[in-house]
Amino acid sequence: MSGSIERAKRGLLAEWRLHALSVVSLAVAFVCLGAALLVVVNLHELKERWGKTGRASVYLKDGAAPAQVEALMVALKGTPEVRGVRYLSPQDARAVVFGSSGGDATLKNLPQEAFPASIEIDVAPEIAEAEVQGIVSKIASLPAVDAVETYGTWTARLGSVLHGGTLAAAALAAIVFGAVLAVVGSTMRLALNRRRTEVEVLRLVGASDGFVKTPYVLEGTFQGALGSTVAVGILAFLFFFIRSRLDTELTSLVGLDLTFLPPLVVLGMVATGALLGAMGGALGLRRLTTV
Amino acid sequence: MAGPARAPLTPFLRAGSRDALRGSETAQKKAVLVFDGVQKVYRRSGGTDHHVLRGVDLEIERGEFVFVTGASGSGKSTMLKLVYRAEMVDEGRILFCGRDVARLTDDSIPFLRRNLGIVFQDFKIVPTWSVAENVAIALEVIGLSSRLIRQRVAVALERVGLSGRGGDRAGVLSGGEQQRVAIARAIVGEPALVLADEPTGNLDPALALDILGLFEEIHASGTTVMFATHDRTLLDVRQRRILVLDEGRCTDVHTGLDHFGDELDSDLDDSAPRAIVAPTRLRRVG
Repeated sequence: MSGSIERAKRGLLAEWRLHALSVVSLAVAFVCLGAALLVVVNLHELKERWGKTGRASVYLKDGAAPAQVEALMVALKGTPEVRGVRYLSPQDARAVVFGSSGGDATLKNLPQEAFPASIEIDVAPEIAEAEVQGIVSKIASLPAVDAVETYGTWTARLGSVLHGGTLAAAALAAIVFGAVLAVVGSTMRLALNRRRTEVEVLRLVGASDGFVKTPYVLEGTFQGALGSTVAVGILAFLFFFIRSRLDTELTSLVGLDLTFLPPLVVLGMVATGALLGAMGGALGLRRLTTV
Repeated sequence: MAGPARAPLTPFLRAGSRDALRGSETAQKKAVLVFDGVQKVYRRSGGTDHHVLRGVDLEIERGEFVFVTGASGSGKSTMLKLVYRAEMVDEGRILFCGRDVARLTDDSIPFLRRNLGIVFQDFKIVPTWSVAENVAIALEVIGLSSRLIRQRVAVALERVGLSGRGGDRAGVLSGGEQQRVAIARAIVGEPALVLADEPTGNLDPALALDILGLFEEIHASGTTVMFATHDRTLLDVRQRRILVLDEGRCTDVHTGLDHFGDELDSDLDDSAPRAIVAPTRLRRVG
C-alpha cells in the first residue's frame, strides 16, 4: 500500500495542474450541493421552530355568555399542555390591530363586530403539532367557540416547501454525483494517457491489475476529498459573511438564526467526495491499457 | 458448451526457486521455452489473412542464447509477444517452464511476466522516474521489502555499468544508458528468460555491440536469452544458435546464415560498418 501511496503522490505532483483543475471543478459542484443542503437544513430548522411555537387563538361566538367564557378559561387553565391563557375582548383586539397598523384610517372605520373576542392560549413548546391539533379540535367543538386558529397552516405550508427543497437538493445531489464521477473519470483518463508508458511498463514487469489501478483510485479519492473540503470552506466563508450582514433582518423576518451545516453533514460531504472520487478513478480506468 | 480448462492462479516459480533450478542438472537440461505447432494469423483490413507464423516448432533450453532474426515484418516481435502473452496463439501451444501460456487466465499473466525480463527497442522506461525507480518497479510488483529492493537494484545497476547513477532522472540519460536501465530492470528479478525485441534498433553500431556484450554477460551468468534482431552484424559477432523467420516458417540454423543466400541477406540490415564487427565468420554445419 505504501508503494501505491508513493506512486499516487508522485502522480499528483507530476500532473498537479491537471489535478488542481479537477479539484476546482469538483469544488464548484460541491458548493452547489452544499448550498442546497444549507437551504434544506435552515428550512428544516424553521419548520421545527414554527411547529413548536405553541400558540392558538380561540375566537368566541358573539353571543357567548360570560359564564361560558369563564368556564372555558378555567378548563383551558386546567389543561396540562397549556402554559398560559389570556382573554382578549373586542376592544382589546381592536386596540391591538389598530396599534400595530400605525393608526390606519380604514381600520379605524371598521365596525366593532369585525373584532371578535378571543382567548389567546400558549401551548408548551415541547408539545408536538399533532397534539396541539388534538387540543384545538376539542376546543373547536365547544358551544361558545366560533373558530380556533393555530400556526399549523403555516407549518404545513413550510413543510411542503421543505419537501420541495429536499427533492430539489436530492436532484442536485444526483447531478453533482454524476458530475463528480465524470470529472474524476476524465481526469484519470487524461492522467492515464499521459502516463501510458508507466502503465505499459507496469504491465510488462508483471504488475497485477490492483497494483496498476490503486494509485489512480487513491488520486481520485484525494481529489474528491479535497474538492469537497474546498467547497465546504468556500460555503462557510460565504455563509458567515452573508449572515454577518443580514443576521438582524433575517432573525426579525423569520424568527430564526441561520445555522451552518451540522458537523456530521460536513463530514458526510467530504466522505462522499472521497468515495465518489475513488469511484470516478476506478470508472476512468475501466478500459485500462493492456499490453 | 464448456470452455477450455484454465490453468490455476499460481505463480510460475516462487522467489528463490530459480537459483535452485540453476543448480539442478535436470532443470538445466529441461527446455525453458517450447513452441509446438504455433500459428499466428493477422486479419488484414481487406479481409485477407496474413500468416505471421505457420506451425512453428522449437525448443529453447535453460541457459541458451538464441538469436531470432528475419526481415522486418517476418514475425520476430510477434513471436516474443506470444511468449509474454501480449498476443495469443491461433493454433498450437507455447510452453514456458512447462506451462501452456495460452491457457493462462488474465489474472495469471502478471505471474508469467514476473518470470520474464523484457527489453525493447524503444527502451520503455519511465522518463520522469529515477534510474533506481525504473529498475526497482520490477521488484516492487512482487512485494519485496524496500531494503532487499535497494540491494538488488544496486547489484543490477552495477552489472549494467550504471553503478552510482540510481538517483539520476531516467529521461536525461543517453539512449545507450536508457537501454542499460531497461536491461537492469529486465534482469533484476532474475527471470527464467530474457526476451530482447530489437534492443539495439535505436542505437548506433558501436553502442549496439556494447549492449550485445551486456546481454552476453547476462547469459554467461546463467540466464536464458532470446534476442530478436534484424541487424546481421550482431549475428556475426559470435557463434550462436539463430532462428530465422521467413514467410511464417522458422528455421533453426545453429550457426551462420550463409545458406540462406542473397534473398534473406537483402532483407537483413547490413548497413553497419563491418570494421567494428568481430571478423570471425560463422561455420556452416549440417
